Amino acid sequence: MMMLPQLNFSVIGVEILLLLVASIIFLIDKFIANKNYAFFLSLITVIICAILVLFTPFGDFTQAYKTDFYSSTVKLFLIFGTLLVLLISYNYLNSYTFINLGEYYALILFSLMGAFLMLSAMDLVTIYLSIELMSFPVYFLIAINYAYNKPSLEGSLKYFIVGSLSSIFLLLSLGVIYYFTGTFYLKEIFVKLSESPYKKELLLAGMLLLISFSIKLSMVPFHMWAPDAYESAPLPITSFIASLVKFAAMAVLIKIILIAFSPLKVQLGQLLIPIILLSILIGNIMAIKQDNIIRMLAYSSIAHAGYAGLGLISADFVGYSFIIFYMLIYLIMTLGIFSILVVFANSQRELLYIPNMAGLSKTIPFISFLILIFMFSLAGVPPTAGFMAKFYIFLSLVKSHYVWVAVLGIAFSVIGAYPYLRVLKVIYMDEEKLTGINYRYDWSFFIPVGITSILVLLIGVYPKPLVEFVQRTLFLYLSTLYFPH
Amino acid sequence: MTSTLPNILSWILWLPLIAIVILFFLPRRNETAIKWVSLIVILVDFILSLILLGYFDFSNPNFQFVEKRKWIDFINSYYYLGVDGISILFVPLSVLVTLLCILISWDSIKDKVKEFYLSLLVTNIAMVGVFCALDLLLFYLFWEAILIPMYLIIGVWGGPRRIYSTFKFFLYTFIGSVFMLIAIIYMYIKFGTFEYTALVGKDYPLHIEKLLFLAFAVAFAIKVPMWPVHTWLPDAHTEAPTAGSVILAGILIKMGGYGFVRFCLPLFPEATLFFAKAILVLSVVAIIYAGFACLAQDDLKRLIAYSSVSHMGFVTLGIFSLNPIGVQGAILQMINHGIVTGALFMCVGVVYDRTHSRAISYYGGLATTMPLYAAFFMVFTLASIGLPGTNGFIGEFLILLGSFLNNKVITAFAATGVIIGAAYMLWLYQRVFFQQVNPNVVGLEPLKVNELAALIPMVVLVFLIGFFPNLCLDFMRSSVDALIMNFK
Repeated sequence: MMMLPQLNFSVIGVEILLLLVASIIFLIDKFIANKNYAFFLSLITVIICAILVLFTPFGDFTQAYKTDFYSSTVKLFLIFGTLLVLLISYNYLNSYTFINLGEYYALILFSLMGAFLMLSAMDLVTIYLSIELMSFPVYFLIAINYAYNKPSLEGSLKYFIVGSLSSIFLLLSLGVIYYFTGTFYLKEIFVKLSESPYKKELLLAGMLLLISFSIKLSMVPFHMWAPDAYESAPLPITSFIASLVKFAAMAVLIKIILIAFSPLKVQLGQLLIPIILLSILIGNIMAIKQDNIIRMLAYSSIAHAGYAGLGLISADFVGYSFIIFYMLIYLIMTLGIFSILVVFANSQRELLYIPNMAGLSKTIPFISFLILIFMFSLAGVPPTAGFMAKFYIFLSLVKSHYVWVAVLGIAFSVIGAYPYLRVLKVIYMDEEKLTGINYRYDWSFFIPVGITSILVLLIGVYPKPLVEFVQRTLFLYLSTLYFPH
Repeated sequence: MTSTLPNILSWILWLPLIAIVILFFLPRRNETAIKWVSLIVILVDFILSLILLGYFDFSNPNFQFVEKRKWIDFINSYYYLGVDGISILFVPLSVLVTLLCILISWDSIKDKVKEFYLSLLVTNIAMVGVFCALDLLLFYLFWEAILIPMYLIIGVWGGPRRIYSTFKFFLYTFIGSVFMLIAIIYMYIKFGTFEYTALVGKDYPLHIEKLLFLAFAVAFAIKVPMWPVHTWLPDAHTEAPTAGSVILAGILIKMGGYGFVRFCLPLFPEATLFFAKAILVLSVVAIIYAGFACLAQDDLKRLIAYSSVSHMGFVTLGIFSLNPIGVQGAILQMINHGIVTGALFMCVGVVYDRTHSRAISYYGGLATTMPLYAAFFMVFTLASIGLPGTNGFIGEFLILLGSFLNNKVITAFAATGVIIGAAYMLWLYQRVFFQQVNPNVVGLEPLKVNELAALIPMVVLVFLIGFFPNLCLDFMRSSVDALIMNFK
């Protein structure tokens, strides 16, 4: 049936490059005194990766790995996010010099490599392995903050244990799937599943799979790790977990459901309804009372994962493409707000407590204005990108006749506006509290914040090119998947 | 006709953007320049909107000055602008209100001047956009976008309880409009278009139509605000700075009434007929309840805020009379109310800037110390009561006439609102301007140039519309007739 697999190494060039560079950094780190080399090396590597992804031919590397429209597009988005994370990290690590620079950047590259492998994987075992490859560096990266924040060990361990739980569920699901279909390959699972009489049992497998990914996406009731892990990690890593890791996990979940579980996608979507509505509700409600802005953003990220998940309920490919769009915009917003928070953390850590931000609009009006943009975008008020993201998600939901879910989701989003408004209230309407702080800005601040804020406003008024691009990608992907030339 | 004025609506809509860009690059210490740039740009904008009025074709009931460009074309959403007789008058009114707000805030805003004028300019864009947009998604974008600057205007430059008020304002209006979004999406899924003109005259199953009507109506009712969702308005009005109150009274709450006329009536005619009576009753409750509430207020701004609720009750009464006279009266009354109540808030702002008190008991005998100011206030008081010769009379008269043709009992109740209105306004006037001269108001500064410049146009408009109502009614006649044809 199949040709003998030819090992086409050009297809996995990106991953090989990442592996090499990350390993080299680990090897030579001890011998180089100027630690900035690691930053520039990773920056250049990631840029080269972007070029490589653009020119990589679509094709298989064994049956378990395939580059295609979907994986390459999501990889490009991830590279975009990683570039911003690297810049933010550079800014952050300038002030927090005890953190070991070499390991830090190498681990980010490893994690990125895991995400890449995961996106291209065409069988469940590879997906499982690459999820671990993506997650393990992140556990280290949280704990790396130990020099500054002793509880970071706790956060790291918590994330690790919960992450293991996620793996266990994934493995369980794999076992059930293998028992009833006899294969791990996504496309074969699809074929077997369509004709299998064991639909119910396979639905159970799908449910276990959803639980596993819900943990990764920090959805209620598997969300408890998020605030602790977010709070204890170094700030750029928090943004990395919130945006990139979640994006990658969501993209893979879409891929699995789209290919392997497409006969069951409607039922899986229905299973998700309570999880997702609860995520939105609880994430938004818990965010109200948080005084630490990182914890607030952690709960808001729970809610945002819920919003993105609404697209899974809709169970059609338009909805899935809008999830990608949503996660991309969430990535942009998160990295934007974190690049500002890093400046706060650098100048005075107390500023990360919302009440201490009082009256910032007087001392740093321009930064306050940027926070305003990001906060309204997170709240989903037009004309910002956050609104467009929500709009498309609700569009797909109504299209799939889940009007009541859409109504509930949008009603919860009114609650969700409050925490962001509160931040703005403190910044714009309260009396000044902390004075005489030196804010240091350099290019590693202006580049990420400039790119993200412009994108947030631009996509808010003219989302067409990006949405169309994402949607077309998924469409082309599906058509080449089922009707290969 | 449009060929002579290419893209005039876009020009009016986006002209303030020029000022926004300039303001971004002006140093914040240069406050004079910030004020002048905003003033000049908005003045040009206002002149443009007057030119727009001049080129309007009275006999054409359809949309004019239409602009349609691709925006997000793969979901069939267009950058689609146009005005007809219903909306055209609101465009110059919005710009005028912004213009006067800039004038009235000239000296009274001392803190964060740059941000204040930026917010005003953004508000102006959003207000004009709401009245011009013919694509439902575009409309929703402007409708929601206005919350951002208003949240700041009330919250940053407002009075002592501003934070409570601004949160209440934001969350109330936000919760109202999100359901409208779902309704818009539902209609899009059903018919594949966001275009207003394409959606008019579509048929729905009645129960769906009722739900859609409600989703829209809740958004508009909160904005209007109708009883019992009016409670945000007294707080927001009271705590907002003068300019914020003027914008709220002048334009923001008109957006609700405009929404009813523009969307609820033509898009869901059967549901409108079904709910009309309920809304008429709510309107009458608002008129009478808010009127009595006015009598009990001891705060100048709060009293005028409640009078807004009462007057807007007349507007919804006129709209849901569902006959040409009532709807014309309602639209005219919205414009009148924008002018008169806006002016009243400016008047309150004038004394508030000098004394920093809004309590009615703080004042007394102002007519002796500020005679010119008292004269202005008198004009607006009488216009608010609806004395013949002022614009308020025409609006209320037409509404009651239209309502009488529709339902006599409800009209009888509503008419008592006019009497209550006279009672609270005249009593207010008596307490503030006559009686013994209160020592608090001795030696107050007379009206300044910028305040005069803001108030005089309002007085002119009060009498102009009062004596020549056809100046406004001519614009809307054919469009309103076409709208009401649906219900015959």
